Amino acid sequence: MLLKELRVEFRNKQTVNSFIILSVLIMAAFRFAFSVTEPPVGDVAAPILWVSIFFAGMLALSPTWKREVEQGTRDGLRVAPIAPSDVYLGKLLANLVVVFALEAVVVAVFLAFFPGTSPDWPALVAVLVLGTVGFVALGNLISAISSNLAQSEVMLPVLLVPLLLFTVVISCVGATARVFTGATVLEIGDELRFLAAFALVYIAAGYLSIEYVLEG
Amino acid sequence: MSRQQSLRIPILAVAAALTLVAVYMALMFAPSAPDVDGGDVQRIMYLHVASAWVSYVAFAVTFVAGVMYLRTRDLQWDAYALSSAEIGVLFCTLAITTGPMWAKAVWGVYWRWADLKLLMTLVLWLVFIAYLALRANTPDRRMGASLGAVFSSVGMLCVPLSFAANRIWTQYHPTVIATSTGGLQASMGATLGVAVVAFTVLYVFLMLARVGIERARDELEELKQKAGDHLG
Repeated sequence: MLLKELRVEFRNKQTVNSFIILSVLIMAAFRFAFSVTEPPVGDVAAPILWVSIFFAGMLALSPTWKREVEQGTRDGLRVAPIAPSDVYLGKLLANLVVVFALEAVVVAVFLAFFPGTSPDWPALVAVLVLGTVGFVALGNLISAISSNLAQSEVMLPVLLVPLLLFTVVISCVGATARVFTGATVLEIGDELRFLAAFALVYIAAGYLSIEYVLEG
Repeated sequence: MSRQQSLRIPILAVAAALTLVAVYMALMFAPSAPDVDGGDVQRIMYLHVASAWVSYVAFAVTFVAGVMYLRTRDLQWDAYALSSAEIGVLFCTLAITTGPMWAKAVWGVYWRWADLKLLMTLVLWLVFIAYLALRANTPDRRMGASLGAVFSSVGMLCVPLSFAANRIWTQYHPTVIATSTGGLQASMGATLGVAVVAFTVLYVFLMLARVGIERARDELEELKQKAGDHLG
């Protein structure tokens, strides 16, 4: 399942490219918006980084299930001798690979646009990884839901933002802000534990409820 | 006339009577609060708390009915879930707009991010607005029912998680405004009690009416199908 998803994703380079372009554009927009007021980079770095990842990531999550509906392969998945939960996990892993790749680009662009930030790398990577797992775990489930709806591309953010904004996104921004002001991986242990807990809860939620979504 | 329909009018009458009593008590009977608590502005509390209460009840009903739908696959449960979500969003909107009016007078600001009750209400409001958007965009009744049930369950899951996350976040945004506490006087408590009961009865009435519409819609669909079978 994982391999199949990755193959589809990378064969279709257009989507991967558009995430990258989008995230660069979001960064550029922030760069120019803030060049007017010139706030201290440390204050705005964390929100900018996460808003870019969050929006570009949502775009990346949207086609995973939509594809199956459009090409009529969802019924195939439904009757295939694979448990729905395993389909979910397969797609989750594939999405994680894609979003991690995306984040590597976003972080590189970020450092180019906002020079002068030298975070503690293990801490930043830990926040990025744990935050992304939580974000993708829930995003994957919501993407499965929204793929069945009219206007599914709009519905994904509509459904996902209220769920993630006050959980994963806020925690990630909080933790990343501390990293940018010099906290090390040990100092943000509490935040990391929270993010890990979110990730686990969301994976469990997706794993358990995907069956009902696929049945439709 | 079904039993539920015949119940509707008396319930509406009770809700209307109680609401009138609550309005009278809130404006005339309850004393004006001491100035530190906002004076006469504080009277908005009776509307605010009662609306918030009804919206919590309504969202809880949506959640429970959604889970029951997933277990039983009975569309009746889904009718409860959908109706309750609509009414809940209505009352939540009332609560979330009356709240800042009162807060501005008492706290000096419209909104306090550190307050868990405000955060919880905001999360619930956004989640259930999204829920209604989901329901509006599903082509198929049964699909909407199960997708909605999954979504409202995940949404409920996010409420306690938002609390936890907020704890991290607020470390960096300490609150500077002191909370105005202080118990309610007995007459204020009584007024609030009447207002809450009045709104709850109103909720029951709205639920019956709204579920009735949903049931009529289902019956109509069935009839259409039957007619189609005859013609086809």
